[in-house]
Amino acid sequence: MGNLYHNKIAQWIVYVVFFAALTIIPMTVSDSFLLNQLATYGVYGMLALSISLCWGFGGILNLGQGIAFGLGAYGMAMTMQMQSQSESNPIPPFMLNNSLDHLPLLWQPFQSTAVGLVLAVAVPTLFCAAFGGIMFRARVSGPFFAIMTLAMLSAFYTIILDRQAYTGGVNGLTPPSSFVFAGVEVDPYSPTAYWVVLCLLAGATFVAKLITQSSFGLVTQAIRDDSERVRFLGYSVAGYETVIYTVSGLIAALAGCCWVMLVQYVSPAQLDVGFSLSMVIWAAIGGRHSLLGSILGAFIIQGAQSYLGDAFLATWLLILGGFFIVVVRFLPNGLASLVESGLGLFDRQRPTSSPAPDGGRPMPAE
Amino acid sequence: MTGLLEIRNLSKSFDTTKVINDFSMEVVEGTICCLVGPNGAGKTTTMDLITGRIKPTSGQILFATDDITARHEHLIARAGIGRKFQVPAVLRDMSVRQNLEVAYSRQTNPFRNLFKFRKEGLKEKLDEVATLAGLTDRLKERAGILSHGETQWLEIGMVLMQEPRLLLMDEPIAGMTESEIEKTTQIFKDLRQSATLLVVEHDMGFVRNIADVVVVMHMGSLLAQGSIQEIEADRRVRDVYLGEQEAA
Repeated sequence: MGNLYHNKIAQWIVYVVFFAALTIIPMTVSDSFLLNQLATYGVYGMLALSISLCWGFGGILNLGQGIAFGLGAYGMAMTMQMQSQSESNPIPPFMLNNSLDHLPLLWQPFQSTAVGLVLAVAVPTLFCAAFGGIMFRARVSGPFFAIMTLAMLSAFYTIILDRQAYTGGVNGLTPPSSFVFAGVEVDPYSPTAYWVVLCLLAGATFVAKLITQSSFGLVTQAIRDDSERVRFLGYSVAGYETVIYTVSGLIAALAGCCWVMLVQYVSPAQLDVGFSLSMVIWAAIGGRHSLLGSILGAFIIQGAQSYLGDAFLATWLLILGGFFIVVVRFLPNGLASLVESGLGLFDRQRPTSSPAPDGGRPMPAE
Repeated sequence: MTGLLEIRNLSKSFDTTKVINDFSMEVVEGTICCLVGPNGAGKTTTMDLITGRIKPTSGQILFATDDITARHEHLIARAGIGRKFQVPAVLRDMSVRQNLEVAYSRQTNPFRNLFKFRKEGLKEKLDEVATLAGLTDRLKERAGILSHGETQWLEIGMVLMQEPRLLLMDEPIAGMTESEIEKTTQIFKDLRQSATLLVVEHDMGFVRNIADVVVVMHMGSLLAQGSIQEIEADRRVRDVYLGEQEAA
């Protein structure tokens, strides 16, 4: 029967059970601050999911996922900011402080909530398609692509920091009221906000899971394995890489929108290099070859940071760093590979498949 | 009979070194053409040029009267040229079945493949190729753990899954046992019914068995071309290549 870990039906059951368990939370948690915090973990889960799709399945290490996340977040913050402005008072206060006497062209589309939302998602997605398209066509790959994303992230960080009159500079944007959509106010501390995030996380996960199981997913795994070889089978490697990088960016952009909806705040810190690196660390610790493993990696690390971080203060970073080193050294495929090898113990029918010569890397079926 | 593949005055220089020098040849449809020559004669470079891995300095490559010179690798593959590499290149982290499945590349559009979960005709083709390659019992194994001979077979199987019109085989029998070589000989002869083969091989015994036409390369140029009897009788070929091989 093979290792249960690689069984597609078993995988789907685990995914469904996982999200079903998350739906119970709002019914048991009455503390609205805790609920809001759990919802932000959902946002981190989406980011880890996007990294897992791009890096774990596509083999594209992206250290600049903060670009898509940040652009999505700024788009959402601009939309929410404009919701608090009126006909008579169309200019956000921070612009007045920067002596702007009219609403800049950049901001005008965000006066409409629908257009603003579309832009918040479409701009980062199209950016990924264009940037990825140029890079992958030029066959920039591996560490070189990672460095390019890092450079691009820093460029965005600097631009946003520098253009204070348009972006709020280092202070960022703090929309004064909750997001209102189609007449419904999404109070960030309400179960509604939690449901929105959970639905998007679950939807993104199911789509990502389907992608990895499609013919497309098989080709991207082949590209991860040996991109040079795949070209000679007739597949456009650049095309596949661009698509998976763009889908990953789209998920991160959605995460950015959700994040601002929950915290009513965005600043250049969301495009900080450190934050983009932590997304990669979540996926690495959870297991980048597993979508669910990466999401859980984000939950575990961020959860531990919130609760243990307060207790240990500065020592926390040392603990996190040590944990990361241990995982990378002993579990190069993250915590998910523990489950894989655990289930492998029950699989006695395939004696020949165990320890492979190069250390038994898992089959990328999951 | 027309040439399925025509190479016209092909040249390739790396810096000042001419690796391929005004080389022309033709592969007739439905035949097996063997490309032989001493090490460094430019055989693998010629394969690289045909498949678009490197771009020629000058000259032309025509496939089915279509100019494919310097096209991208994936477009040349889609046009119907499949290639087995000298150092067997399989996807080592994937299972044997997944290797064959990826190679079944009728649909290459990334957007269409997003919505594709079942490939029509895959199962039949996969069964057929796996049986032919003797890998039926190994489908679930990771390709990285196969023996050298099995890896060779897997890559040949991948090329067959592509259903190309022209198969380029770079040293297909290296590392195979006598009986495996016999089997390869038979498969190649059967393949000739539906496809055309260009084979680079050092084993003259194997070449003698399969070749319709033999092309001898030396220092990046054409040295001789003809049937195996003609080639073996050719004094120049004996001097630069066959003599050296017999001595070895």
